[in-house]
Amino acid sequence: MLRHTVRALAAALLLSVATQASSEEVLRLRLNGDVNTLDPIATTNFTIRNAAYLMYDTLFALDENYTVQPQMAEGASVSDDGLTYTITLRDGLKFHDGSDVTAQDAVASIKRWGSVDGLGRILFGKMETIEATDDNTLVLTLNEPWGLVLDALGKISSNVPVIMPAEMAAKPASEPIEVPMGSGPYRLLPDEWVPGSIVVLEKFEDYVPRDEPASMAAGGKVAHFDRVELQYIPDTATAINALIAGEIDWIEEVPADMLMFFDGVETAKTIAARQSGNSMQLVVNHLNPPFDNPKVRQALQWAIEQTPFLQAAYGDATDRYLECAAVFFCDTPYASDINTDGVLQRDPDKAKALLEEAGYDGTPVLLMHVTDISTHDIYYSVLKPMLEEAGFNVEVQPADWATVATRRASKEPVADGGWNLFFTGWGFVDQSNPMTNVYVSGDCGDAWFGWACSEELQKLRQEFANAPTDEERRKLAARMQEVTHDLVSYVPVGQAFPSIGIASDLKGYIDGPVPFFWNVHRVN
Amino acid sequence: MLRYCATRLIAGIPTLLLVSIFIYSLIHLTPGDPAVLLAGDNATPSQVNEIRARLNLDLPLWQQFSIWFSDALRLDLGASIYSGKPVTWLIAQRVEPTLVLSLTTLVLTVLISIPLGAVAAWKANSIVDRLCMAFAVIGFSVPVFVIAYMLVYLFAVEWRIFPVQGYKPLSNGLLTTLHSVTLPAISLALVFSALIARVTRASVLDALGENYIRTARAKGLSAPRILFLHALKSVGVPVVTVVGIGFATLIGGVVVTESVFNIPGIGRLTVDAITQRDYPVIQGVILFFSASLILINLLVDLSYALIDPRVKG
Repeated sequence: MLRHTVRALAAALLLSVATQASSEEVLRLRLNGDVNTLDPIATTNFTIRNAAYLMYDTLFALDENYTVQPQMAEGASVSDDGLTYTITLRDGLKFHDGSDVTAQDAVASIKRWGSVDGLGRILFGKMETIEATDDNTLVLTLNEPWGLVLDALGKISSNVPVIMPAEMAAKPASEPIEVPMGSGPYRLLPDEWVPGSIVVLEKFEDYVPRDEPASMAAGGKVAHFDRVELQYIPDTATAINALIAGEIDWIEEVPADMLMFFDGVETAKTIAARQSGNSMQLVVNHLNPPFDNPKVRQALQWAIEQTPFLQAAYGDATDRYLECAAVFFCDTPYASDINTDGVLQRDPDKAKALLEEAGYDGTPVLLMHVTDISTHDIYYSVLKPMLEEAGFNVEVQPADWATVATRRASKEPVADGGWNLFFTGWGFVDQSNPMTNVYVSGDCGDAWFGWACSEELQKLRQEFANAPTDEERRKLAARMQEVTHDLVSYVPVGQAFPSIGIASDLKGYIDGPVPFFWNVHRVN
Repeated sequence: MLRYCATRLIAGIPTLLLVSIFIYSLIHLTPGDPAVLLAGDNATPSQVNEIRARLNLDLPLWQQFSIWFSDALRLDLGASIYSGKPVTWLIAQRVEPTLVLSLTTLVLTVLISIPLGAVAAWKANSIVDRLCMAFAVIGFSVPVFVIAYMLVYLFAVEWRIFPVQGYKPLSNGLLTTLHSVTLPAISLALVFSALIARVTRASVLDALGENYIRTARAKGLSAPRILFLHALKSVGVPVVTVVGIGFATLIGGVVVTESVFNIPGIGRLTVDAITQRDYPVIQGVILFFSASLILINLLVDLSYALIDPRVKG
């Protein structure tokens, strides 16, 4: 009797679950974090950026050669004096409520982006006016020629200059838009969005892709799925099991120590995402002793080498990392090996001698140890003994990332809540461009955390922005690297290529610095 | 009875107020600024200050609290700093998964632990007792995530009987929902069964020494009848108390299980809010926990009257 009941129950259970499946094509993705807002202007968070690409579109976009191409724009013309840019929108652009995308929407969106984005602020500093001359045309007038206008508007990483309706873009960038709307290939279903759990988008039938084939962020964005679900699965092991069992299709990053989960698995695999490489840096506070002394900073550079950090973080997965001391990343247009000896080689004796020369009195160096991000946690454990061997007195203060992210903004002395050192990571696209790389600005008090100060760097960046040829830009970038490493603006600790986990039946995945999901389709 | 309930509920209000003040102070004293996290890596100090001003984070703490408290009295718990969604909405979204998981766990726990404890007491000091208690010790000492991963490996990855993760809402049908919470409920039930089985054993053992049980034996009643009808009835009070506390713990504290099985419940909402310093959400869920605890305690007290005639009145 009991056996019959159990069988009947199990059959009913399986039947009811099976009937849930439908013919709808669904793509299920697991990003690294939670999509708690879909306003990529209000935050630079990469998870939000990645999700936003599904539902928004941009005027211009980078193709796989890192060349700017028109996307929502039909094209752009520049006046002979290089001061006036006229951009026309292509036909058939519609927002997700069915209304037309107009040049007024584009102007409002670019203004909102320009109020927060680093490159956007530079652009607006050089801009006299930006206005819509009719529904399809916007005109941008500069007060001095600047060769990077379209590069700025086609920026691929945070903040991405996405286009939204003018009334939404009227909101200050400090206020995230609650129910956002874009004009991209997928449309947000606001009623199914549960922050901390899931975001659901459906194919936007009125989206008209460009005719060109997809090429990174540019070209025809063809949506092959009826529905895209962004699931927030906090536990990585669970996400991997779900991928292997076919419950989800894609994981943004599989940690090196979990690659073996995929051994002998047919339903899913991992791929090294060469284009979405990132790097870790040890950020040095130039305002507080002992690192206000250039000699002590040089000692720090000689005290460190990259290999132990990379081995600790990536183990045997040697194809997933690269020793690299190039300020603008290795294997990029501005990569260089100039002035990298002190960064790549370790010499504790030299470090000690420099400390003695600097008159280092044993002042403890405060390390803000981030405990809740595993790669960071590993790096701190490697760093402490390295520094101690070179003669530094190290004080470690463990905290979660939220605490460190707040404390790093303090310019106060260590005793009053300031700091000396912390690790952070930046992505390939942000670091490879001298205009967006935060470590080469030399902007002193206005620079990124660490506040490295160099008039020469400021001048070089200015010259870079105005340089007419690629060759000149390369030369300037090499000099920037030389000055940055002399100054010890920061210490690079290697470059890594994340492993993406992907269902074996997905094809057309674009290797880019940002994960893009147009063009992706399932092969049965 | 009604008056008793009303008095108990009113007496809960000062508790809620005290908890609110305590938590409010505690979370605001914790370092970490949501405005910095919200603005992201490239933000300038002036942008961070703008956000801080918009969120009232630049006001003195007592002023921030009084704004929050006066809104809370109107049942407005504010909105999440990140998503802008009302806190009450966010909690409402998470109540169903947590309640379904907790209730399923509770039913499984009672089904496993009470017979186990009763049999262990009946056969006290025999091999059956030892085996039952060995199970209890193992259940209590193995971390819940170890059990969870083992269940996932066997039942989800190898045999594909249950899903690895995720929660299917009741709108998909009861069976689908139960199918999605079976593995998490089993992993939690194993831990709670261990606790309740031990309490049941101890209480039944006490009862078995009582005169009325001896009388029942003398009357020639069968062993199961004595055990389940007479002995168990009298141990209701301590067992219900432990079950009640367990249920309250389940509602607030199943973070690990919710994370491992990706169940979007209250526990995960709390942890995410804490790591992001989403103050209104933290404050809201703590208030929710306190209120649930007060309510469950009241229900447990009321159930005493049903179980034990001596408590009546």
